[in-house]
Amino acid sequence: MDERASINFGRILTGVIVLFVVAFWGAQIQEQHRHVARKKVRFWHMWTAEWKDVVDKIVDRFNKSQDEYEVEALSVPGSGSDSKFILGVMGGDPPDVMAQWNPIIPPWADDHLLTPLDDLMTPAEKKAFDDQAYPVVKKIGMYRGHLYGMSIGINMSALYYLPKQLRDAGIDPDHLPATLEGLAKIGERLDRFDSQRNLTHLGWGPATFSEFAPLFGGGLYEWQNGKMTIVTPQNLAALQYLAGIRKKLGYDNVVRYNAGLDMNSASGGWPFIDGAMSITIDGQWRVEQLRKYAPTLEYRTAPVPPAAGGPTLAGVSNGNFMIVPSGAKDPIGAWAFIKFWSGLTDPDTAAEFYTWGGWLPLTPAIAQAPIYKAYLKKYPQFQTFVDLMPSKTISVLPPVPYQEFLSDQIGKMEDSALRGTKTPEQALNGLLFAVDHEISRRKELGYDR
Amino acid sequence: MRKNLTGYLFISPWLIGFFVFTLGPFISSIWLSFTRWDIVSSPMWVGAANYRALLTNDDLFWKSLGITLKYAVLAVPLAVVIGVLLALLLNSKIRGIAVYRTILFLPSIVPAVASSVVFVWILNPQIGLINGLLKRLGVIGPAWLSDTKWAFSSLVFMSLWGVGGSMVIYLAGLKDIPVYLYEAALVDGAGPLLRMRKITLPMLTPVIFFNLVMGVIGAFQYFTQAFIMTNGGPEESTTFYALYLFNRAWRYMDMGYASAMAWILFLIVVVITALLFRTQRKWVHYGG
Repeated sequence: MDERASINFGRILTGVIVLFVVAFWGAQIQEQHRHVARKKVRFWHMWTAEWKDVVDKIVDRFNKSQDEYEVEALSVPGSGSDSKFILGVMGGDPPDVMAQWNPIIPPWADDHLLTPLDDLMTPAEKKAFDDQAYPVVKKIGMYRGHLYGMSIGINMSALYYLPKQLRDAGIDPDHLPATLEGLAKIGERLDRFDSQRNLTHLGWGPATFSEFAPLFGGGLYEWQNGKMTIVTPQNLAALQYLAGIRKKLGYDNVVRYNAGLDMNSASGGWPFIDGAMSITIDGQWRVEQLRKYAPTLEYRTAPVPPAAGGPTLAGVSNGNFMIVPSGAKDPIGAWAFIKFWSGLTDPDTAAEFYTWGGWLPLTPAIAQAPIYKAYLKKYPQFQTFVDLMPSKTISVLPPVPYQEFLSDQIGKMEDSALRGTKTPEQALNGLLFAVDHEISRRKELGYDR
Repeated sequence: MRKNLTGYLFISPWLIGFFVFTLGPFISSIWLSFTRWDIVSSPMWVGAANYRALLTNDDLFWKSLGITLKYAVLAVPLAVVIGVLLALLLNSKIRGIAVYRTILFLPSIVPAVASSVVFVWILNPQIGLINGLLKRLGVIGPAWLSDTKWAFSSLVFMSLWGVGGSMVIYLAGLKDIPVYLYEAALVDGAGPLLRMRKITLPMLTPVIFFNLVMGVIGAFQYFTQAFIMTNGGPEESTTFYALYLFNRAWRYMDMGYASAMAWILFLIVVVITALLFRTQRKWVHYGG
């Protein structure tokens, strides 16, 4: 080894060390927070853009409300958030609290990734939750008798309709049909086709089996005994209803019509605003969207009517909820933040946050808070969704450990029935077969013993 | 010794990356394929249960394998034919040929995600470019990505978008063919077609073979476009093997099962590649 090589080696080594020092120092600077004396609570969420601003406002409010904790919010892109969370828990560096909306509670609770929130609650808080939380809030957050997710904003679906279009078609917008069958009939009167039978305007185009099955008294899960219920007369009727309407419109027709529309637009591009459909089913967040992007639009909301003989105020829900990972460094601080945001113990303060996001409340106390009532008065269309909250027939995705698989299979089942490649009966039997297969596969591999 | 150390220090980022992110996972996946592992809890040994379940109790495994094989059989030869034809066209001595070459090569360097998103719009049945052009000709185009009859073919069609990459290699191969062979053929009175059949194509076979092998391996790993454009639908008609593997691994958190799938895929690719290598003796001509 000559002297020159030795000098070079030394230089490289020095360079590497300098790089590490700079990187480490930079990371330290980044990690500094405003209230050094306070305990840090790391909070991950998946909101971006204007929603992130709302989250930051709530975090700021929490940090100002007390002097023990400082919550640091981090927006984690939705697509990679779940794997980042899992790797964080496994690597021993998870956040203290995370806002979620994916169906993750059963599999993550089974894998001991989550801290049961009841372990963090005082008996009084537990009692308050049990006594006051809406039924659907409990359904979403509970798994195997424990609370793993605390709702901070439930999603509900209802009808949105354009009274002018109904009036123009000779339909009284003040008296919508009381059944789904009646709705299908007026939908036909509102549909428009061109000379080549291409759909040019959609009157009423329902979809998603999970949403409609409860309106027929069906659903995929029996909550009393924790069993999947797939092939039932009610579920069959729901699928037949959806497939029947699609068949009349023509599958290809609907695909083409929808392809030209941005149905998921979260801005002024939502086709309902331009009158592309007269009656549609959508979530409560559209009220806020319409306020921002179409403040002059005349529209109304109403609960989706049941099928003849079906339960009223039924449907399906999902929502945003807070989870605390296993291994969180400050679960107590996390719980303090969750309580603050959800409004379990201080509904009047939290009610304002729910109005910022256009979210549905956790408890009737929040719905009754003056600020929330003022919000409802200002946006009466929102009341429809709040009225759904006490319903016991609002369903959620079955709490089984193979939720993602189930969700995919439900989509496939619905797709094949609505395309007409399978009869509704065959499609439901196909779903049953796929689920049974998956259960037996998981058993064979030793899962879910 | 210290000189060597300096060298190793320079290549250490690559070495570390290779051992940690490639070789390590590659070897550990053999063991994982015999376990039940949801990433979170410790892997549990299940023997050959994953392989048994895959081969005897998983219809989608077979279906996705069939779809991938079909894609390899259709898309790879198509890419070879189109790639060679384009290279032959771009081998001519005409004005502005460099510009044409660049234009045809450019799409291949567009990231797959970006081109997939663009193609979702191009193939939109209502407002897409293709159906817009067809409409001018009086033809109502299909719902390319939403129709079970067309979704798979659309992806095969789209695979030609990246043919510029292999085209450049064919072009290099064409440039490498000795001119004296053509001169001798001309002296012997051989016409263009005969020169193509007897000189150009045989001399190009090493390059064709290379692209064929790479194409087959790539086809069995086909994922991005299907993930973005169809997500396996409609009705599983574009559920490619790698997409199903991804779902099992990262959505259903079934890493042991997915590892078994990966190893089956690896063995299939090895066998097919070995078969291709065996056939090359009969049709690949080396040397000038």
